[in-house]
Amino acid sequence: MIDKNEGLRKAKDIYANRAHRVKELKAEGNKIVGYPCMYVPVEIITALDLIAYRTYGDMAEPVTEADRALPTAFCPIMRSCLDCALKAKDGFLDGIVATHSCDPQEKTARVWESYIDYSYFHFIDIPGTLRPEALEYYKGQINDFKKALESFAGKEVSPEKIKAAIELHNRQRALVRELYELTKPEPPLISGTEILQVIKSLMSLPVVEGNELLGQVISDAKERTDGPQQKPARLLVWSSTLDTLDIMRIFEAGANVVVDESCGGIRAYRADVKLTDDPLDGLTDYYVTEITCARTFREAVFGEARKDYMADLESRFGYLKEMAKEWNANGAIFLLVRYCDPFAFEMPGLKDYFESFGIPSTYIEYDYTQGSLAPLRTRVEAFLETIG
Amino acid sequence: MYFAGVDIGSTMTKIVLMEKNHTVLSAIKGPTGPEHRQLANEVMKMALEQASLQLDEISYVVATGYGRLNVPFADRQITELSCHARGVSSLFPDVRTAIDIGGQDAKCMKINNGKMVDFVMNDKCAAGTGRFLEIIASTLGVKVEELGDISLKSTKRLQISSICTIFAQQEVVARLSDGENLEDIIAGLHDALSSRVAGLARRLKIEPDVVLTGGVAKNAGIVEAMKKNLGCELLIPEDPLLTGALGAAILAKEYFLKAMSKGEPSLPKARRLEKATFFE
Repeated sequence: MIDKNEGLRKAKDIYANRAHRVKELKAEGNKIVGYPCMYVPVEIITALDLIAYRTYGDMAEPVTEADRALPTAFCPIMRSCLDCALKAKDGFLDGIVATHSCDPQEKTARVWESYIDYSYFHFIDIPGTLRPEALEYYKGQINDFKKALESFAGKEVSPEKIKAAIELHNRQRALVRELYELTKPEPPLISGTEILQVIKSLMSLPVVEGNELLGQVISDAKERTDGPQQKPARLLVWSSTLDTLDIMRIFEAGANVVVDESCGGIRAYRADVKLTDDPLDGLTDYYVTEITCARTFREAVFGEARKDYMADLESRFGYLKEMAKEWNANGAIFLLVRYCDPFAFEMPGLKDYFESFGIPSTYIEYDYTQGSLAPLRTRVEAFLETIG
Repeated sequence: MYFAGVDIGSTMTKIVLMEKNHTVLSAIKGPTGPEHRQLANEVMKMALEQASLQLDEISYVVATGYGRLNVPFADRQITELSCHARGVSSLFPDVRTAIDIGGQDAKCMKINNGKMVDFVMNDKCAAGTGRFLEIIASTLGVKVEELGDISLKSTKRLQISSICTIFAQQEVVARLSDGENLEDIIAGLHDALSSRVAGLARRLKIEPDVVLTGGVAKNAGIVEAMKKNLGCELLIPEDPLLTGALGAAILAKEYFLKAMSKGEPSLPKARRLEKATFFE
């Protein structure tokens, strides 16, 4: 008998012990650069032969150390990330690159930088608008980032090397999109829970190894006979970050999660970085305009005096309607982390928007602790009862 | 043919046993207590005794509430939201909005033709729940059942600005030392709780008829404050604690009859009327 789950088993192992591979690579003399948000242009890290490693919080770890640095009524993910850093959970990291994805991350980054002595720490500002002048500003930011990282790496990076890194990461994006093709059949060939394990693994591996893993998972999933069972609902999940299997398993106890538009899902992989003459132009365009995260308000018409609500909804969330149709979803869950203002502001509009095309939706708030999982389960089950 | 609904809430465990025609044979309420979910079997024994029934005479058992996963003799678990919605709509067929204020949560359900179509629930915070009133009552040295009647004597509108249970408690102590009257303070607290729950409910766009349930609906002061905050009339069931268990029993009947009509293998499966030995 041919074993058809080798790739998935590998992903499961990596998920359970994310740092294992980068620690090996570090022992071989490589430098590991952590990043807490997908707005960090990992292509530049790869181009300088450094290894990008996504840092997360840890829901199972009670926040204790971060209390001395951050307010309590504050983004629980950032509190958890800083807490893990203060406890040296990712002590193998050689440096951190943070961004202004939202105010809590910006402020936390500053605290992070002052409390922990990394040999390299860089902060990238990102404009919160899609106005044309934002591109110029952001390009300056990543140019600064490139220079700072060059001096940390002790070498310069050519445009050709950046282009090669973009191609590798675009390859990863194409493979993840291929992975999400596998959830389109009924039943899906791969579960949302399995995909989350794979995505989290990708963010813990050098890009080439991640691409190999993806190739293996995709060919396995197409051939295996023990894939997911069909559930009564096909869900679209939308969230800031969804980084724990516990939550995905709660969703998938009564539904198939067919597409997850979050940091633990397809968000970082939906579009490609364009290969421009100056590779920083392509990166700028991608990171400012292509990523759909609630941290940027995508208004329909810039500077409009009187807003057209439905036109704005279309501009802000049109991609979600397309995705819901493409994956044939019959329900949507918007998962909200407590105190996450950028995502919370989207809720009433997003609910109105989904109502306008007839897909039932609900939003569920949790506070990034294990203790919030039981109430979360009740809300998920109740929602599935309303659409079942 | 008999059906059972078992609602294990954070504070109270409720069981309704009924016939196919919805005649209620027994309705038992007991404290959930610190042993929490393990004692559903004891309450069930009481309910069976009252109805002079044996467990194997019950065609289908639905468990609901926070403890729903730990009822070894249940045939199916359904969330308290669906069960409340079903129970309320059986008592008030024209209901469109149901608000339930329980021991540790407040929830609001939109109902269309007897079926829940949308809902909101508070987060895990005691503001806007029965626990808020319990804590305040103990601070004031009165019984929680007395709060309603005392507050109705209030003549002065007192604003309690904190909705956080702990801060509200501090505010109450400060108001007492300012020499404010007990009835005005309690009325102010009812107003604070009601405005929080009404705010939650408004996220769903409230439509009449509006029904209020849960243990807190027994507090006449809260009922008045909720009417004022929502700006509409409220319907209250005769026993506002039992709608979840009643809905669970009705859903038990509906699932059972549906399974029968589809020719699915008949229930009951082997049930155990014993303490739950596992926890999720």
